[in-house]
Parts: sequence; C-alpha cells; structure tokens
Amino acid sequence: MSKSPIVEFKDFTFRYSTQREPTLKNINLTIYEGEKVLILGPSGCGKSTLANCINGLIPFSYPGEIQGSCKIAGNETSNSSIFNLSAVVGTVLQDSDAQFVGLSVGGDIAYALENDNMPREEMLPRVLNSATLVGMHEFLEHVPYNLSGGQKQRVSLAGIMHDHVKILLFDEPLAALDPQMGNQAIDLIDQIQKNNNCTVIIIEHRLEDVLYRPVDRIILLEDGQIVADMTPNELLCSNIIVEKGIREPLYLQALKMAGCNVTIEDNPCNVFNMNLEKYKDQLISYYSSVDTSKPEEDKEVVLEVKNVDFSYDKFKALDDVSFTINKADKIAIVGKNGAGKSTAAKLICGILRPDKGEVLIDGVNYLNYSIKEIGQRIGYVMQNPNQMLVKDIIKDEVSLGLVLNNKSEAEIEKNIEAALKKCDLWPMRNWPVSVVSYGQRKRVTIASILAMNPEIIILDEPTAGQDYRVYTEIMSFLESLNRDFGITILFITHDMHLAIEYTDRAIVFADGQCIGDDSVFRILSDNDIIEQANLKQTSLYSLATRIGLEPEKFIESFIVAERRKRHEKS
Amino acid sequence: MKNLNIINLTKGETFLHQLSGTTKVRLFATLMLYVMMSFDLPIILPLFIFSIIGIISLKPSWKVIKPLVIFVVAINILNVVLYWLANPLCGLEYTGDQTILFAYTDYLVVTKGTLWFLTIRLLKMLTAFSTSLAFIMSITPSELAAGLTSLGFPYKLGSIVEIAFRYIPDISRDYENIAVSMQCRGLELDAKKTKPIERLKQMILILIPLIVTSFDRVGNISNAMDLRGFGKGKKRSYYSEYPERKNDKIFKLIYCLITIFCAYYIISGIITPRDPKMWLYWR
Repeated sequence: MSKSPIVEFKDFTFRYSTQREPTLKNINLTIYEGEKVLILGPSGCGKSTLANCINGLIPFSYPGEIQGSCKIAGNETSNSSIFNLSAVVGTVLQDSDAQFVGLSVGGDIAYALENDNMPREEMLPRVLNSATLVGMHEFLEHVPYNLSGGQKQRVSLAGIMHDHVKILLFDEPLAALDPQMGNQAIDLIDQIQKNNNCTVIIIEHRLEDVLYRPVDRIILLEDGQIVADMTPNELLCSNIIVEKGIREPLYLQALKMAGCNVTIEDNPCNVFNMNLEKYKDQLISYYSSVDTSKPEEDKEVVLEVKNVDFSYDKFKALDDVSFTINKADKIAIVGKNGAGKSTAAKLICGILRPDKGEVLIDGVNYLNYSIKEIGQRIGYVMQNPNQMLVKDIIKDEVSLGLVLNNKSEAEIEKNIEAALKKCDLWPMRNWPVSVVSYGQRKRVTIASILAMNPEIIILDEPTAGQDYRVYTEIMSFLESLNRDFGITILFITHDMHLAIEYTDRAIVFADGQCIGDDSVFRILSDNDIIEQANLKQTSLYSLATRIGLEPEKFIESFIVAERRKRHEKS
Repeated sequence: MKNLNIINLTKGETFLHQLSGTTKVRLFATLMLYVMMSFDLPIILPLFIFSIIGIISLKPSWKVIKPLVIFVVAINILNVVLYWLANPLCGLEYTGDQTILFAYTDYLVVTKGTLWFLTIRLLKMLTAFSTSLAFIMSITPSELAAGLTSLGFPYKLGSIVEIAFRYIPDISRDYENIAVSMQCRGLELDAKKTKPIERLKQMILILIPLIVTSFDRVGNISNAMDLRGFGKGKKRSYYSEYPERKNDKIFKLIYCLITIFCAYYIISGIITPRDPKMWLYWR
C-alpha cells in the first residue's frame, strides 16, 4: 500500500526575523499519513521551530524568512492561514498550564468550537465525546487549578480533536509529568493514533520514555539540520545518539557496559520484546563480578526531622514524617505532585514550621532560629532560575543574599569570589544575567545560594526541561560540589535516571507520609513503593527480571559500575 | 480552589446563579441606569431591598464578603461626612429646607434638608454597591464575556476579562514561590521589622522575577489561543452560556420594563424639568 505524504518539507530553510542565522537549514522531510514519528534532538536544535512550521505559528505568529517549500496535506503553508492549518494539525503544547485557557475542563475543550461560533447545543455532545476519548468526561465542571499535569494535558488533547484533525503534534509531552503519568500519556497517544488513524508527530528528547510504545521513525536534528532519519532499531544500534547528546536508554547502557554488541535483529527498541537470549550469560557474568561493597563510614547527622505533622487549613500535608540527613549525603526526594515533597522542603527551610514534632539542625531545635538564620545554613534553589534572578549583573545576584543579611563588605567580597569560582563563573562575574544560557543561569542561582555557605542545598527539579547535555553539565557540577566541598544535597525530583546516577538514597513521599527511605536501588526494586509514589520501574528492573537476575542486586551493580566508569572518564 | 474570593469560576446553584450571562449583564446595566437617574426615595429604596434579598439568596460566604462590605460602607460614610464638612448647607439647593437641627459653630450646622439629602445620597451609593455585589457574586468570568458580547461589545474585550481571571491564581502561586525563595535568601517580609521604604524595595525584588516569568507565559498563552482559532470569525459562541430559559424570559420582561420606565422618567424630566423638590416625600 503506497501511502500519501501529509507533511512535505523540500529544501526548507527558515530564519526568524530577529535572528541572523537560519534556525532550520535545508530540511528535506516527508511524513506519510498514519505514521508515528519522533523528532529528537537537544535543546536549541530547531525541533520546536520545525513543529511551529507544521502548525502554522511560523510564519503567522513568528515572522521570518522562508526558503523552499513546506506542504501540509498538499497545501503550501505560507499560502494558507493559521486557522486553516489548525483544522488539519492539532497541537498539544509543552506548557499544559498555558494551553489551558478555559475556566473549566468543559470550557477549555470547547474553546476551538466557541471560536467557530458553534451553537451551544451542538457543542455539548462534541465536548462530551472528546472528553470521553481522553478519559476526562467525569471532570467537565472542574476548574484547572485542581488538576494534575497529566489531566491538563489530556484536556489539551481533547480540545484539538474535534475536527478529526489529520496530524496530532505533541511538543515535549513528557516535560511536566511524573514517570507514571508520562507512561500513561505515551499510552494514550498510542491508542488515539490507532483508533483515529491519524498521523502523530512527537517532539521530545527523552528517547527511552517515548519508546515505551512503538514509533515508526525517528528524525534526529542537530543545529537545524536533519542528521538521521531512521527506524528506532537502526538509531539505537548506531552510535549517533550518544554523539549528539541524547540520553541512551538505560537498558542499552547496561548492555553496552557489559560489552554486548547489540544489533538491529535483536529489536533493541523495547526492553520487553528485545531478543536477550544471546547476551544473557555475558550480562550475568559482568554484573555478578561488580564489587559493590562499600567502606563503612561514620556519618555525622546534620538534620533530623522527627515525627513532624503539618496541615494547610484542613488538609494534612505531612503526617508523622521522620528522617535524618547526614553530612555530605546526596538524597533524592521523590513522589507524585501533592504528596508532600515541596511541603517537606519548605519545612526544612523554615518557611513553614511543624504543627507537631520537631526539626533539629545539628541537634538544636530550629524553632530557635529565624528563617533568615536557617537560610544561611540551608539553601533552596528553585526549579525555574528565572523565578530567582532579580539583579542585572551576575556578581550582584550572587551577593544579594549576603547584602540582605547585612554582612560586611570584606566578607561579601570573599564569599562571592569563592562561590563564583566554585561554579566556574568567576570570569563572567560582570556579565549581565540576561545574556547567559539556561544552564549558566542555573549555576548563577546555585552560586547565589553557595555564597551564604550553607551546609545543605535543596534543589527543586534541577534539570527539569533540560536536554541531556545541560543535564549532565548541571549534575556533574553538583556532584563535584558534593565531592569536593562536602555539601549535602537534596534533590526534589521525578527523574529516576537522576536518582540512579547521582544520588545514594531516596526518600519517598505519598499522601503526606514518608513511605520509603533507603538506597536508590532498593527503592526502585520495591513494587509497592513504586506504585504508591507514581514512579515507574526502570528498564533495568525489566532487564534484570528477563535475564533472571535479582533486580535489587542488578540495579546496585549497575549503579556502581556506571559511576566507576564515569569517574574514570572525568 | 473553586472560587477566587467573591468571584465564582464555575456556575453556582442558586436562582440568580442559574440565569444566563446575557440576562445578568443586561439586568445589571439597566439597574445601574435606574439607580443613577434620580434621587427619588420611592425609586431607590425598593432596589436596595431587592438587591439585599438578591445577595442573601446567593448564599455567600459571609466571612469573605464582610471585609469588603465594611470597607465600602465606611468609605461611603466618610464621603458623606466630607461632603457635609465642605458645605454644611449642601441640602438647601435640593430641598429648600434649612431648619437647623444642631449647630456646632456658625459654619458647622446640621439642617434637616442636608441630613435628608445626605441620607438619600448614602442610600443611593449603597444601592449601587449592593446591586454590583449581587451581580459580581452571581456571574462567572465566562458569562460576563458572553454577556458583554450580547451587549455589542467586541468579544476580544470579554476574552481579556476571562483570561485575566484564569491566570490570577497561577500568578499568585508564582508570587508565593518567589517570596519563599527570597525569604530563604534573607529578605525580611515581616511588616513589623522593616520600614515602609525598605518594604517597597523588597517588594520590587519579588516583582521583577514575577514579571519576567509572566511575560514568558503570555507568549505561550497567545500561541495556544491562535492554534485553536481565536479571532477567526466576527462572532463567537460560549460553552458556558446557557440558552434562554423560563426565568431568563421573565427577567427579560423585567429589564425591558425597567428600561422603558427609565427612558420615560429621563425624557419626561428633560421635556418638563422636574421641581427638584418633588422627591421630598417626607413632608
């Protein structure tokens, strides 16, 4: 059966009017009806620009210069209009909060119909129908503020499905979701594609998570050019993803580390269906030989949370929570949204104080200290650096905390120099904050906390929305802070890869309770905890079960072997 | 979070809530005209009573509206007192009465006419307020948008109102987060410990990142609206706007009658200027 093309780029080049260089260069790409395509690439590679060319935001909302041709369903986009295109292409944006423009679920789903001036009687059944497709029909009266990220995304999806759009375009659908919701989203996309027989284009850099359900083709972009256009199996067997700064799936990393040379015939795109028979012995022998014994260290307790309760009005956010944090620990605080992670972090920082129980810093009840005093010992770094940066110049930003705490001139100078040097920002100290990259901004926020010489730093989703390159940059920097300066680091995160690679211990929250506090590999092998906390089993777990190894032992061996390898490199 | 203080985001259950947005907006517009056109007690008083009944029927959370009511009543009383201080004989022109009830000094006197005039003035202000309060509490932002469109305003105006209400809670959440992180860095937000000028400076420290992140969001929202065809046609329909029901029809009759009455009252007032004393039913 020959399929007809639905998206056709021919020698397509695009330059934003505000930029000198073209963002997309000489793109030749054809996507056929009914295909499911993943567009992969690091941040800034042009993948969002490519998506905007398909849905018509380019050239209709972002002006620029186009060369070559881009046809959607046979029509040249520059001769069409954004409204005509939106009848063919349905887009689910990355920021599901911003896309939720209605005041209720029903109102948001109806938004496109309202703009068509459709009478209300006609609207109602169609809204119900779309809502049912995504499983949100029982929530029509709900306001957006109580919905989870996954639910908002479902509403966005329902809102674009009225006209039987031919192309569904997802811009980073996994960015705001916890691991389990991410799986559900990928599953839903798969089902909808099968039922409606539409073309699906997913823009993402989280390769392993998208491959949870099959994909026909992967397009890899770099610097505005297509560098690979192949099937998932072909791509995974080439070395190209590692070279281009895309994270390799964990199970493949585990296989390659054991020296297995995976081929296309093994069907490596899915850990459940992959042909593992011939690698089994090699894997078992490699991972059994990893020495996982650790020298016993004396741990010095720096923070102790004892039987703490906390409620907002009537809602109990923390219920009898206890844990201790030792000096130079690297800890992941995990759990679904609203489980109490952020509340616990705010409580540790002293912004909130416990209703019951106590928090001890170096053995002293912290009710004796003001927020300001605690702030000098425990630093809090927000997820979005733009929410923390208030000064124009990097140096001023870093000194702000010290100035607010009325430190002497000499002390300020000394501290910011040390902090900026630790963060490799010293040569850039007089630069404006606005000109540096996202990763560097993140560093500026961390430097501004480090300048206060805290013993503990809490980071909220330090790598959210970042591609693998920036992720590695931020995380190896944090690791060196921990290793070289003995700073205790707490990560609040959804990212299990991060927990595996960079932390030793995980504290798991569910419904305001602390349901797990153990080494990462034990937490990730405990099915009860995984389920309760909306985590998901990593592919390492599945790999271990398939080759008949004890998952706990296998994950531990992998972590040890992986870190050893990483440290050899650096 | 179903409601933002007194503003409902979703339709309530009571009689007034259940009216359509068009009915509410039109009724409110006519009632405002009605209360503004005169100082006649027999015209103002019934509306005042009805609007109070209206507020009660909406089953409001008294805890939420109490501060607002106290604030508005206090401001209006202050207004009346200042009015009197500025011209203790202000009622003369309207009532022709200058029977002195109390005299504090030669200048500061309370006359019967002034007292009457100021009482009616206060009642008129409070009626405007109570009618507005009932209106605000009964309507959702989407219905307001639908209602404004029905009055012939361009729908983009209504959408601005709707979008503003949609994102207020998001922005206040951002504000809270930024305030938390600034407090950890040593910002003192405690009013007792800082001088007003210091506080103002510190507020700016929170506002800068808030504005930056809000602008980021504005771009995303406008893309989302464009992609779903906002601004496509000259007209737009509303999901939250119920079709006209029996009660809406009754109210249609009521606001039509009120409009006719207002028109008659104003026009007849222009043709044969009313004796300004005509509303003095107290005699």
